[in-house]
Amino acid sequence: MMGSAGKLRVLLAKSGLDYHDRGVRYIARKFRDAGMEVIYYQYLVIPEIVKIAIEEDVDVIGLSSSVGGYVENIEELRGLLEQNDMGDLPFVLGGVIAKKDFPVLREAGVGAICGPGDSADEAVDWVKNNVVISR
Amino acid sequence: MFDKKVLEKDKLLQKKWKEALSARRQYKDLDLDLKTISGLPLKPIYTASDIEDIDYDNIGIAGEFPYTRGLYPLQYQATQWMNQMVHGYGLPEHTRERMDFLTKEGAQGYFGQQTFNLAFDPPSKAGFDPDSPEAKGRVGWCGVSCCKVSDMDIMFHGFPLEKTRFVLICFEPTMALLAMYIVHAERRGVPVDKLLGNTINGLYLHHTQGGVGFPPKHALKLMVEHIKYCSRNMPYWNTTNLCAYDIAESGANAFQEIGLTLCSHIGITEACMEAGLDPDEFIPRFSFQISSTMDFFETIAKYRALRRMWAKINRDRFGCKNPKSLHARYHTHTGGTSLTAQQPLNNAVRIGFEALAAVLGGTHSMATCSYDEALGIPTEEAAQLSLRTQQLVLEETNVTAVSDPLAGSYYVEHLTNKVEQEAYKLIDEMDQQGGFVKAWENGWFRSTVDNEAFKWREKINSGEETLIGVNKYVTEGEQVDVPVFEYDADVEKVAKERVQEFKQKRDNAKTEAALNGLRQTAEQVKNGEGDLMPAIIDAFRGDATMGETMGVMREVFDFGWWD
Repeated sequence: MMGSAGKLRVLLAKSGLDYHDRGVRYIARKFRDAGMEVIYYQYLVIPEIVKIAIEEDVDVIGLSSSVGGYVENIEELRGLLEQNDMGDLPFVLGGVIAKKDFPVLREAGVGAICGPGDSADEAVDWVKNNVVISR
Repeated sequence: MFDKKVLEKDKLLQKKWKEALSARRQYKDLDLDLKTISGLPLKPIYTASDIEDIDYDNIGIAGEFPYTRGLYPLQYQATQWMNQMVHGYGLPEHTRERMDFLTKEGAQGYFGQQTFNLAFDPPSKAGFDPDSPEAKGRVGWCGVSCCKVSDMDIMFHGFPLEKTRFVLICFEPTMALLAMYIVHAERRGVPVDKLLGNTINGLYLHHTQGGVGFPPKHALKLMVEHIKYCSRNMPYWNTTNLCAYDIAESGANAFQEIGLTLCSHIGITEACMEAGLDPDEFIPRFSFQISSTMDFFETIAKYRALRRMWAKINRDRFGCKNPKSLHARYHTHTGGTSLTAQQPLNNAVRIGFEALAAVLGGTHSMATCSYDEALGIPTEEAAQLSLRTQQLVLEETNVTAVSDPLAGSYYVEHLTNKVEQEAYKLIDEMDQQGGFVKAWENGWFRSTVDNEAFKWREKINSGEETLIGVNKYVTEGEQVDVPVFEYDADVEKVAKERVQEFKQKRDNAKTEAALNGLRQTAEQVKNGEGDLMPAIIDAFRGDATMGETMGVMREVFDFGWWD
């Protein structure tokens, strides 16, 4: 792991059967170009995402959702992280997220929510400013 | 295309034009950097010299090879395009309500037939039941939850199936969904050879989107099985709707959209031919879903170029003789990615321009987006306005009176040629890599589209490309206040209960036997023997669900991550 020392390690994932990946692939590239190490997965259930987060020892999880289900996903994610003593691992959410769900998502611990029109550079800055390299 | 006198005159006029241009002080510092959204360079004016090399036969006339100007002697003068509004949400009865609403509002197909373009929810579309862990949170979203024949009974009851066209939008479980429909029809006494409609058969589409599916060789095998069954048993069924639109929505520009789609067609057709099918037997039932985007003339050029390329490729590369094999039939989807969450009413106008371009390009069917689609699925009001947009173009603008009205335009003919040339280059690139499967496996499709998507987004971010409401004329502190579609909160719960109850009540021994039969046949087909579709139909006759049927298929054909 010498080569990646000092690099933020980001897990980007789309959960369940959400296939709209254009946005998250763009973000993946932006994160990579900003010097982060990006692990990208799709079509996983939340327990699988948490397993990868543990195995890859990531610093932050970014979940992308374009077809709903994100409130359930986030609640499950938070619960599983806590069960695995990873309650302080930050996680963020992007995609088509309804404004009315913002309060419940923040309550569930989502660090940042990105949607249409938000800038990718701001997302990069948010991660750089709020995520600590844990390794 | 022109005699010498015209071209000499044109040279003279161009000289005058240039002189007039340099004489105007106002133009002195103008930096004209004109290009299409795809990046094809443009000039401020086109003249006869720009199309002097075009063979007039290449433009031709409607109804004659190479069909640049349309497939039939008459276009909209004979029948309107089909209003194939994409719809589907919640439980089957919810979707049926929207179907009835659209019918009431005048949505119709050719010659007044009814037509329904059905979106299935992520679980159904991927081949899972609502009670599977993968489905959690997504049941009934962006499509209808449909995992068993009785769901179709609820949605389709009362429609005369011999006269009603259903489009089943679905990728990996194409055969399963069609089998479900075949069994629904059978139980109503309608034989399979009377059914009308489309399947997408897009098992190859994870070459440019998603990343999970059957590996290329198995995906092609399954597509061939589907095409083989339909070609021999369902004369009115359009087996394969080549999804140019999906490739465009993933990021492809205009010429990539049609170039990569034709590459996919070549791969599918070669696989069918290797399996012993005659192209004139199955290509007539291929069709397109193509995107209409905000570059108005490039969209029209793309439509015209694709008709011509389709005719030539099928005649020259595959030796087709049946004129129907040379007919590129289009369903248009207006561009979802051109819509914005900001200032959403602007989208209604964007959709209007795109609908008009599609009609001027000669589409045969259309799904117009709704203005609220960057926020959610269409509300009833938004869906109505979207349908009205088509009806306004059809019934008030009079653009339908004359076929291919932009033919002969120096600009449009020139651009049609350019788009065609660029698309052919992509086919050459694929051929040089050793064909479709190689270019899929090595990631060429994916990276071509990904790079273009990235480039586009960066242009929006830098303001090089204008997106009103996002990078220009932005409303400071905008609070979007259009109504957004609200899902019925109970859908997932009800769909889960229904499928669990269904599994309890059926004759489970019969279902198990049918699924075992499917597994055996699937193993044989994997080794190059037998026919798969009858075994899938038998699974649904035996009351298997979508998730169970596709579960067998996933195991046998190595479903997984193939990005």
